[in-house]
Amino acid sequence: MDQPQLRTLEATCIQEESPQCSAACPIHIDVRAFMGCLAKEDWRGARRVLDRTMPFADIVGRICDEPCRIACKRAEIGDPLAVGSLERFCVSTVPMVLKQPKLPAKGGSVAVIGSGLSAMTAALDLARKGRNVVMMTGDEEVGGSLRGYAEEILPARVLSGAVETLDSYGVNIQFGCSLNKEFFDIVRQDSDAVFFDRDCAGLAALSIDCTHPDPLTLAVGNDGCFAGGGTTENGFSIMKQVEDGRRASLSIERYLQKVSLTAQREREGSCQTRLHTVTIGIEPLKEVLPADPAAGFTKQEAAREASRCIQCECKECVKQCAFLQEFTDYPKRVARKIYNNQAIVQGTRTANKMINSCMLCGQCTVICPHDFPMAEVCRTTRENMVAKSTMPPSAHEFALQDMEFSLGEFSAMARHQPGLDSSRYLFYPGCQLAGSAPETVEQTYLHLTRHLDGGVGLMLGCCGIPAQWSGRQELFGQTMQTFQTEVRKLGDPLIITACSSCYAVFKEFAPELEVQSLWQILDKGELPEQKTAPPQQLLTIHDPCTVRHEPEIRASVRSILKKIGIATAEQPYSGELTDCCGYGGLMQFANVPLGEKASRAKGLRSDLDGLAYCAMCRDNLAASGRRIAHLLDYLFPAGGQEDPLLRPNPGFSGRHENRARLKQHLLTTLWQEEPTMPPEYKDIKLFIDAQVMVLMNKRHILEDDLQKVIFQAEQSGRRLIDPENGHFLASFKPVRVTYWVEYQPDKQGFVIHNAYSHRMILPGDVK
Amino acid sequence: MSNFSFISDTEWRCGCCNKELQPSKVNVEYMGSVFNVELMACPACGFVLVPEKLALGKMLEVEQLLEDK
Ligand code: SF4
Ligand code: SF4
Ligand code: SF4
Ligand SMILES: [Zn+2]
Repeated sequence: MDQPQLRTLEATCIQEESPQCSAACPIHIDVRAFMGCLAKEDWRGARRVLDRTMPFADIVGRICDEPCRIACKRAEIGDPLAVGSLERFCVSTVPMVLKQPKLPAKGGSVAVIGSGLSAMTAALDLARKGRNVVMMTGDEEVGGSLRGYAEEILPARVLSGAVETLDSYGVNIQFGCSLNKEFFDIVRQDSDAVFFDRDCAGLAALSIDCTHPDPLTLAVGNDGCFAGGGTTENGFSIMKQVEDGRRASLSIERYLQKVSLTAQREREGSCQTRLHTVTIGIEPLKEVLPADPAAGFTKQEAAREASRCIQCECKECVKQCAFLQEFTDYPKRVARKIYNNQAIVQGTRTANKMINSCMLCGQCTVICPHDFPMAEVCRTTRENMVAKSTMPPSAHEFALQDMEFSLGEFSAMARHQPGLDSSRYLFYPGCQLAGSAPETVEQTYLHLTRHLDGGVGLMLGCCGIPAQWSGRQELFGQTMQTFQTEVRKLGDPLIITACSSCYAVFKEFAPELEVQSLWQILDKGELPEQKTAPPQQLLTIHDPCTVRHEPEIRASVRSILKKIGIATAEQPYSGELTDCCGYGGLMQFANVPLGEKASRAKGLRSDLDGLAYCAMCRDNLAASGRRIAHLLDYLFPAGGQEDPLLRPNPGFSGRHENRARLKQHLLTTLWQEEPTMPPEYKDIKLFIDAQVMVLMNKRHILEDDLQKVIFQAEQSGRRLIDPENGHFLASFKPVRVTYWVEYQPDKQGFVIHNAYSHRMILPGDVK
Repeated sequence: MSNFSFISDTEWRCGCCNKELQPSKVNVEYMGSVFNVELMACPACGFVLVPEKLALGKMLEVEQLLEDK
């Protein structure tokens, strides 16, 4: 990711844009923060928010005409927030908390003609910035039209307090000036810039036309004269006075600094915001009105009204994604962290874990109003990490070894249908289905051979998606190439995939091959005679994340379910919006606890028992405690299986062994071939109780690893012994990880008591 | 982790040499970094014990730190 790419990404996520209220406010008061403080009864905090942006908060806070109120998001579902009354409550109960500092004097003298609110604001803003300001007015007091307010709304002492404030910043106020042409000529000569407040009686006599200031800069002419405030066609608006005073002061600053008066001023004054806030599901609470309207809000009333603020933000993607929630961030910040992470040359790359924890599932992109491509960002970052050798080796190694095994001599095979030497079709069950339900794979295959003409070949292997997800481009490329060569050798049959990940991979990376999902084939063709009764209860369908953009596959699945009489209920986060089970992006390997959270979250989308048609979703949700079946369990039930909803998660070891057993079984029974002989250590028989098995799954240790350790220890005699209980402890490092096993010989094999591993290399590590 | 000691009494004895394990200084290595640590090992054949607590605790922590370097 380079700087421009980061900028583009940052602009795509609008979470940091202003809420509607502060965008609509002509001086962009942080209304959301103001409400937040009031709601938690942090009165001083609320006042500080006003003091930061609002000039003469004691005055303006009492009479603000709240142009933000109609923009408030709550208006969509009921009453908008009572911003004005809350400001009034705040400034009349809490004295100033933050006095803005005065910057060092920097020359440039400005005349402010008039003493209404826009003149006051311009004078205050310019004096704060260190400008020399003289305020000249024909009046004897400040305030202009504000003096017309009733005492109980704007007490005279509060209004005249503005004189002290202006004094304290060094504004020289001259009351009782006679505003005429001579006066103006002198003023013009003595000052570098002039602001005319149109809320001032004598302006007409000054031989300058202030009626049509430029709307962006408020300039009248081009010699440093500016005008604003007063009554417009929309009447006399308090916030318009403040806005014009501020806009004029910013123009005068630019004028004095001799920089562009017009560049980049779109965000001054009321403006549009791109922030996207969803109000669906938010309770439309009624506005809290003060019990005594004349007295205004009590503290409790104010806090209650402010707590109706929904604290507008977007985070629509975060609300649904376990990964974004875990790292408590929204994509804009994630992108920034990724950028910073890859810029690190020396030091700890703290975002590695985060980058490897995205499920690359694309849900956020569908949800986001601007299609933020989080998955693509994380995946390409992983590619870069691999290329620069900064990818932590432990993150994906276990999954990649599993893939290697699926593609290796003990699990992979490709054959024409027994007795035939060509294939019109090729059934590709995928590594996870072969690992999860090998008997079902066999039954499905036999069904296809019986019902499709022209020969159905079989290929066991892995599509290579783990390599792609983990950023191993080279490995993925090789895998795809080998696959394509094999398919060509079989005469380019139409590939039938049972796994939607395989389907997605082949479609994207081998577009010249013909691919269809098993569900489409079964839906169009003949379904098996049913052997398992449909469940009594309604099931909810858990779509896998890889069919997010495959409506036809999703429809085929639903059509099959209907035909076989399984009643289902949809849940809101299915289809295009479906969650990943945690396997996506190899997240469950790089971040084991988060993987568990993600599968639990997917399972909890509905209270109903589930139905999956991705083997990995099925197994992960089963592991998370959901009762869930695979669609194939109902179509091609394995012998001896009772309720498909109760089929346990086979775990990593189970899947590993299942794949090997499937190949061996099919080769011997269907093709009458000699199986590949397993290595000698596979003869070691293990007894592992469920608890140790759970531990091994979490620790990514396979039975295969234990067999290697014990085989080696028993052969060499190199092992520790606990004389108390007769347990042995041995270790072995087959490749990069050292495995330790605590075991005890048994008549028929070995009882496993514990297993753990580390990657640190010991001096005597047996290789 | 450099120059750390992880010695503690243990029930484990070397099954090969039938000896009690003794504290022993060894070099362990990961991602090109070498640490000299004290672990329990067989005084005769040098079989080094890495207890579960160490493997899943301090050792894992250091491994992950080095992987993110
Ligand atoms: S609900 Fe709160 S944050 Fe949202 S627009 Fe209204 S005042 Fe602003
Ligand atoms: S896990 Fe899925 S929804 Fe979450 S950020 Fe990654 S791609 Fe988006
Ligand atoms: S949906 Fe997510 S990525 Fe999109 S704008 Fe909102 S917070 Fe940002
Ligand atoms: Zn020994």
